[in-house]
This record gives sequence, structure tokens and C-alpha cells, in this order.
Amino acid sequence: MKKVQRTGVIREYDLHSRSVKVLYGFVLFLCLVMTVIALFPLIWVCLAGFKDLKEFVSSTSLLPSDFNFGMFTTTWDQLGIAKNYLNSLFSVAGSVVCAIVFNGLLGYGLGILKPKGYGVVKKLVMLSLLLPTTISIVPLFMNIQKLGLGNSFLPLWLSFGANAMYVVLFIQFFESLPHSIIEAARIDGANQLQTFFSIVLPLSKPICTVIAIFAVNAAWSDFLLPYLVLRGGQLQTVMVRLFVFSTEQTVNADTMMRSVVFSMIPPIILFFIFQKQLTENAVSVGIKG
Amino acid sequence: MNRFVKLVSLLLAAALLLSALPCTLAEEVIDADLNCTITLGNWPADTAPQAEKDLFLGYQATMAKQYPNVTLVPDYYSYTLSSYVPMAKGGTAPSIFQPPFTDPQLLISQHLVGDVTEALQNAGVLDKFSPSYVEMLAGDDGRIYGLPRDGYVLGLHINIDLFREAGLMTEEGLPMYPTTLQELAEYGQIIREKTGKAGLVFPASETYGGWLFTNIAWNFGCVGESALEYQDEDGRWVCNFTSPECIAAMEYMRDLRWKYDILNADATTSDWASSHTSLGTGEAAMNFGADDCVDQPTANKGLPVDSFALVPFPAGPAGRYALAGGTCYMFAPNITADQGTALMAYLKVLGKLPFLDDAIVAGMRADYAAKRDRGAPVLPAISAWNDEDYNAAKQAVIDEFCNVDMRLYNDFFDSISEGTITLKSEEPVFAQQLYRELTSVVQRMITREGADVEKALRKAEESFQEYLDDEINDY
Amino acid sequence: MSQTKVMRKLSGARFAENSKAWLIMLPSLILMLFFVWEPLFESVRMSLYKTRNVELVRYIGFDNYISVMGKDDFIQALLNTFSYTFWSLIIGFLLPVVLAMIIGETRRSKGIFRTIAYLPNMLPGLAVIILWSSFFSAEKSGVLNILLSTIGVSPQTYLTRAEWVIPIIIIIATWKGAGATALIYMASMAGVSPELYEAAAIDGATVLQRVWHILLPSIRKLMGTLLILQIISVFQIMYEPMVLTKGGPDNASLSLMQLMWQYAFGGSMNYGKASAVAVIVTGILLVMTLIHSYFDRKESSWD
Repeated sequence: MKKVQRTGVIREYDLHSRSVKVLYGFVLFLCLVMTVIALFPLIWVCLAGFKDLKEFVSSTSLLPSDFNFGMFTTTWDQLGIAKNYLNSLFSVAGSVVCAIVFNGLLGYGLGILKPKGYGVVKKLVMLSLLLPTTISIVPLFMNIQKLGLGNSFLPLWLSFGANAMYVVLFIQFFESLPHSIIEAARIDGANQLQTFFSIVLPLSKPICTVIAIFAVNAAWSDFLLPYLVLRGGQLQTVMVRLFVFSTEQTVNADTMMRSVVFSMIPPIILFFIFQKQLTENAVSVGIKG
Repeated sequence: MNRFVKLVSLLLAAALLLSALPCTLAEEVIDADLNCTITLGNWPADTAPQAEKDLFLGYQATMAKQYPNVTLVPDYYSYTLSSYVPMAKGGTAPSIFQPPFTDPQLLISQHLVGDVTEALQNAGVLDKFSPSYVEMLAGDDGRIYGLPRDGYVLGLHINIDLFREAGLMTEEGLPMYPTTLQELAEYGQIIREKTGKAGLVFPASETYGGWLFTNIAWNFGCVGESALEYQDEDGRWVCNFTSPECIAAMEYMRDLRWKYDILNADATTSDWASSHTSLGTGEAAMNFGADDCVDQPTANKGLPVDSFALVPFPAGPAGRYALAGGTCYMFAPNITADQGTALMAYLKVLGKLPFLDDAIVAGMRADYAAKRDRGAPVLPAISAWNDEDYNAAKQAVIDEFCNVDMRLYNDFFDSISEGTITLKSEEPVFAQQLYRELTSVVQRMITREGADVEKALRKAEESFQEYLDDEINDY
Repeated sequence: MSQTKVMRKLSGARFAENSKAWLIMLPSLILMLFFVWEPLFESVRMSLYKTRNVELVRYIGFDNYISVMGKDDFIQALLNTFSYTFWSLIIGFLLPVVLAMIIGETRRSKGIFRTIAYLPNMLPGLAVIILWSSFFSAEKSGVLNILLSTIGVSPQTYLTRAEWVIPIIIIIATWKGAGATALIYMASMAGVSPELYEAAAIDGATVLQRVWHILLPSIRKLMGTLLILQIISVFQIMYEPMVLTKGGPDNASLSLMQLMWQYAFGGSMNYGKASAVAVIVTGILLVMTLIHSYFDRKESSWD
């Protein structure tokens, strides 16, 4: 068996000491407690999805009386969640493209091209990093209404193209790229835009992956602006639907729990596919999603 | 209001005879020249039962036959004042939508809704409009801007199983329900002791708590001189939450929690739906609910129809009022004359105008049959039209599908028709904000033992008065 | 070719280059303008006007601010927001550090624990709040009450207690976010070379001494940054109380941002006052950022 090198504070030979052994045991115990606390609510909500309304409201048992998958399929069909999934998918796809292209281009301009006067814009971007878009959601919503863009995905997609955090991540990454490669492309006669798409972007796979994952997750979870923009219409996403359920009380509590499960499945799948990139790369850029 | 009562009594006393009705064949083309598009905000939501969606698809098909060149665009819209206004301003409001009766006057005064007087005239129903509704749906200029969709009267929902368990039954096997607020507290206590369940579920979140509290306050005497809000001689709107009557009503709310302890545990986060859930699943024995949502505890939350009763709102020491309200149809501010005509035709197909043809009667029958199959009580409806034949014919269809022991409902409907209870509509201005302020006070009362009633009410009064000054008095 | 001509040609090329670069950034800048900068500016402008729906009726100076700030619910929301911040620091600030330390100490299972710690952060915030609402239900069927009943404790109420709601909301937010933050600390802690611990151990430093003198100093600066980020994010708390408690009981969990939403979309449609609240929050956040950068600079000058 391969010996795993210990990297933490506790060194190998510390374990000879009885008290450190106890301490290490305690650390492992705490990790287990964390695991239980992190996973229990998720497991519980899946179990709760098997309960009907009466059981959900009255039962004092954590386990459902029986495991009838029909409860989930009924909710899925009855609420037409498939359509909301499609809407979400559509909304997420456009958002990711916008997030990478527009923020990438701005990052390229501010991190590599650096035309005269770029410093001011960079400062503005850094400053907007601190101010969440929710704060100006009222005038933003009014602007969208005035332009007649209500009830369409377009404003939602484009809003992902104006994300200060993504821009800053791009700038940081681009500044770390070796300048010689970009210069070489320049000498070969490629113009700035060509350089971006043929040289810079392919080199930026790690950062693009991270931003894409963040954008997918953010676009999937977002519901305030989508709620205002898409209102009660045909384009509602899964999260907008869930928000409407929670404010307008059109569904029963048990159905609500199943909707919660449905809303969590795609992010969890995404998480397990990309967990390595997320827990290693994403963190190394020093931010959280 | 008296007219409203008379109207209702007329309807309820109406003979069961189905009189000869004018018949039009649904297949007939009525107007092929009418060429326009209407967007329908009253279309059922995706979450609506399939039967209801099918019903609307049927209406759509009928319209397509009668008016082949009118395009119907289903556009489900769950109306809220805040989302409606920008839509109306931006010209994207649906042609028809359904606001509650609290909003028409505000919308009319701000010119955010369309005038349908001509369209009603042309449809031949303008003079059949019940006067009590005209008041709510006309502007100062006398023009009509809306139509009633349905009305409701607040009462008390009863879970008979819990009453039986608590031994609160009469010899005829009917629940012994509270007729006064004092009895409500006492019966609630008995139920709590015998069954361990909540006597009363009270949704004290957001605006619901204040909404129900106003009715309780009226019954404690917050009317006339002591009304919660009124206009003084100078035309200034004034609110009054610190009258002895209002204080007594709020003390009653406090006692429900701390003296009698009959409320549900999570009152401050309970909303309209979760209180129906509590009653329907047997977690609470009583809930202030109206006649238009009897399907909530039953069909939607699983309580069998036999275990459910609707009784009049309990009287207070100073009066017996029941809140009456409802939903209406209103129209986009930019509708054309053609669209107006098409919309009236559409409402006629929906059976919302006082006409009955075979298709409408069939529609009603289908509607009631669906209700009965879902396990929702089929009850008499309150009509908005002064048309005896129409009202009688409608009642006949309802009787045919009645699936409940009417003894569990008669007191409720009799109290309205006999006038033993006085119907009262919501406080006249900014009711939602008033409810919000009062909900806060109710929350304080039921979360803090020994809270100072007068102080809390005075604070709410100041806050709401400032709101009134900002919103209308200084405008 | 003379010297000046070369210069001119070069500067001409430079100009072309510059304008092309700006052209590339233009679409993104327009988006930034439309989605971020203009609305912010518009907030400030709107806060100075009496508004009727989406229209500006007339300029009224600071009346919106005076009116908003004079109301009890604003004072309450302001205090609540500070209370959120306080509880978030008590409950949520050190926890990620502890998590990072304990996960960092594990050996083979490190990857698994890291994954588990990060998982809640991927879940949609709204779903998380709805899910947890069942944990804090006061009925016998509430999850916490079920758990308590197994150790013989009678059902408790949670969300109806004014003094509990804010800590509860913070606990939920911490459940979601602490693991992800812990991973950031872990990345930073990994920068400490194991030899340092090794050397300290040989010098006779106990495990706790090593934590205190080597591990914690290595993340001090990061802690400062994350502290300010956490305060900023807690200041924006809005949908959590909106969904869980609707701001209740008796406004005990109403936050500033929620108040803004209520003014705008809660029925009164007073966009002017909503903007005034937004501008006040923005102002507080800016002040905090300035304070942070001041200390940051001071600290760097010490190093």
C-alpha cells in the first residue's frame, strides 16, 4: 500500500504520543460530525419526498411509511417540471456563453491589450466587485421593462456577460500567461481578436472551466432577476418556479419538498462530474462560487 | 351593502325551476369580421388541475368557431399590483387579468386599466350589473372598468373529526361550533385539551394576520366612529388603531395565545395555504376561511367532504360582521374597441356574463362534476348579476351536483341571506399595507407574553398614518 | 525617413491599436454599463425623486432618505442587519478555519472530506432555505423536534422566537457556505511547507503551539480579506428571511435589503424609497471597504 505523506501540522512521529493520538482521533471524529451535518439534510429531503401531505405534516418519523417513487413521478408530471428544466437549461447555456465571451474579452482588454486609459475601467470593475447586482435590481428591472425585454431570456443571458468577479478572474489569469506567445501571434500577423480566439482562449482552459462551472451554478440558482423578468410566463425556470411556489402557495408542502429535490439534482450531478476542478482549481483561484 | 345582501338572498331563495333559456349553438359563427388578438391573463397556470386546463382549451375551441378571426393568446398571469403597473406602463399587460377587489379603484384612478362600458353595452348586460359591484368597478366618471369574477364571504372552516374527538357534537351529529369569539376561545381550549391539536390555526405572516384581524376588530366594534381608517372633514385619511375597541380586539388575540393557548405553534410563519393544510390534515380544528376556498382543506389537502363544515364568522361583543371580497376581471389600458368586443365574447363563453346556453350549462355541469370528483364541496355561488332567471337556473345546476350535507353549510348561507351577519368589504384605502402593519402587532402579541397592546398598536398607527400621509394625503 | 516621421507612424499605429482594443472591449463595456454602472447611478438619481411607479414625478432632495430613515422598520432593519453580521461572525467566521484545520490533518480521506464540505455550497440557496424550514418547524413533525424527542425533549418553537430567528438564518447560511470557505483556507494553509512544522517539532513545539505560531499566522491576511467579504455578503442577506420568516416575527428578522425589496415589489411600489435604502446599503458597504483597505495598507507597511 502506498504510504500517503502527511502534510498537516501533526507529524508522523507525533502519533507516538498518546495525547496527540487522542487529538488525532478527535479530529477524525469532528470530520465525521461534519459529514453527518453536511449530508443529513440532503438525505432527509429525499426521504421526505416519499411522504404524502398528511404524513409530511403529521408524522413524527424521519422515514416515510413506504418508498413509492410514484410520488416523485406524479409531481414531475403534474407540475410539468420537464418544461422548467428545459427553460433552465436554455437560460444556463446562454448565460455560460455570455459569461465567458464578454467577460473574457473585457479581461483580455484589461489584462493583455491594456490600451491607453484602461486603468480607469479596471478600477471601476474592481469597485463593482464589491457591490452586488441585487442592490440596483430596481432600476435594472425598470431599464429592462423600458426596453421591452421582459419575458425573454436575453437580459438574463447578457447579465452574465457583465460580472465583475469573472472579469477580475480573467484578468488575473491572463496576466499570468507568458507574453512571448501572444507577441509571437502578433508578429505572425494575427489581429487582436484572432489572437484572443486562437491563442488566448485555448490557453485559458482552466480558468474557463472554473468560470463556466460558477456560471452554470449561479445561473441555475438565480431567481430574483429571473422572477422579475420572466414573471408568471411560459419561460419560468426551475428556481423561479420554486420561488413562486414559496410565495404564492400554489402547491402543497409535500410537493414542495419534491420540487426542492428536483431543483438540487442538476447541481449535484454537475458537482460530482467536476468535483476535482471545483475543490482544487476553483479554490486555488481563491474565491468561492 | 344592503343591496348586496338582498341580492344574495334573492339568489339563494330563488326557485329551482330551470326556466326556458335562450339557446345559441356553440358551433355557429357569430362574427367572422371581428379581427384582433387578445392575451388572456386568466388562463389557468401549469399547476392547475388538468380538468381546468381542458376546460379552457374547450373555451378556446368555442371561440375559434364563433369568432374565427379572433386570436386567443393564453398568457397565464398571476396578478400582483407591483408586477402589473410596469406592464401596464410598458404596454405589455395582458388584455384581461384578475385583480382582487382591493385594487380596482387604485388602478382606475391611475388610468392603468381599460374602459369596457361600450363593450358591456353592446353585449347587452350593462343594465344587469349588480349595483354593489358597479360601485367597486366604476370610476368617478361613471365608466365601467371591470367585471366581477367571483366573490367570497369570510366564515369559519371546521374540521369535524377533531370536534367529534373533543366531544363537541350536537344530538343531530352536527359539530357544536362557536357562534361568538368568546366561545371560539373556549371550544378551542377544549379541543386542545382533548385532542392535543391546535384549536385555531391563525396565519399571522405578512398580510394574512392583519387581514383576519380586521374582521375580528369589526366584531369588537371597530366600525363607524371607531373604524380602523376613515376620512376626516378635510378629506384627509386617518387611521385609528388605539380605540378601546381595537385594543380589546388585540387583547383577545393575545389571550388566544397566552390565556387559552389554542393557536398553532408556528403562527408567525403560517400563511394562507399552510393554515388550510393544518385544518385539512387534522392539525387544527378551526380556521378563518371563506366560501370560495372550501376546496383547499378538502380536495387539495385531503380532508373528506363529510368531515368539513363552513359556519358563520363568530360574533364579537359589539357586532357580527363578515368580510366580503372577491376577484374581478379587468382589462389592459390600451385595449381597442374590437378587443373589448372580443373580450366580452370570451367572457360570455366562459359563462361569466348572465347568459346561459347549452354550452355554458354543459360547462357549468362539467365544472361542478369535476369539483365533486376531486372531493371539493359544491356550494351555492354568490351572483354578480341582477337577473333572476339566470340566477335560478344556475342554482338548479348547483343543486344537481351538490355533494355535501347542506346542514353543515346552511347557517353560513342563511346568516347572509337573512342578514343576521353584516357583510363588510375591506378597509377602503391601502388595505394591504394596513394588514402588514397589523400583522406585525399580532405577531408581537403572540410571540411575547405580556406585550404592551396599546404601545404596539400606537406604533403601528403612527407608522401607517405616515404611510397614508405619504401616499394620499400629501399627494 | 526622418525621426519625427517614424514617431508619427508609430503613434499612428499605436492609436489604431488602442482603438481596436477599445472596440474589442466595447460590447462588454456596454453590458457593464447597462447591468452594473448605470443602474447604480440610476439608484442614486431615483432616490432623490418622488416616484410614481416607474416614473420620476419630481425632485425632492433627501426627502426619501429622511422618510425612510425616520421609520421604525428601517431602524429595526438596520439593527437586524448588524445583528446578522454579529451572529455571522460568531457562528460562521471561525468555523471554516476549524474545518480547514481538521480536514487538513486527515490523511487518506482528505479528498472525500473536502468534497463533502464543498457539496452544500453547490446547492441552490433557495432550495436550501426551503429545505431547512422543515427542520425548524415548531410542529411535532419538525425535523429538529423529532430529533429532540428521541432524547426526551418536548417540541420547541424556533421561528416564532424573535431572539432566535437571526441566529437560525445564519446557521443555515453557514451550513451552505462554511465548507467552501474552508477550502479556501486549506489552499492557503497548504502553502506552508511541512518542513516548517517538522523543524518546529524538533525544537519541541507541541501540536497546538505549531498551530498557533505557524499555521494561523500563515492565514492571517486571508482571514482579514475573508472577514470583509463575509461582512459584505451578510449585508446583502435578503431572500433567506424573505422565504423563511417573511421578516417576522414582528420584523425581528427583516434585513435592509429585504426592506428595499418590500418598498419596490412588496405592494407599495415606491421605487424612490427603495433606491434610498439601496444607496444607504451601498454607502455602508463602501465605508467598510475603505476601512478594510486602510488597515490592509497599514498592515502591508508593517510587513
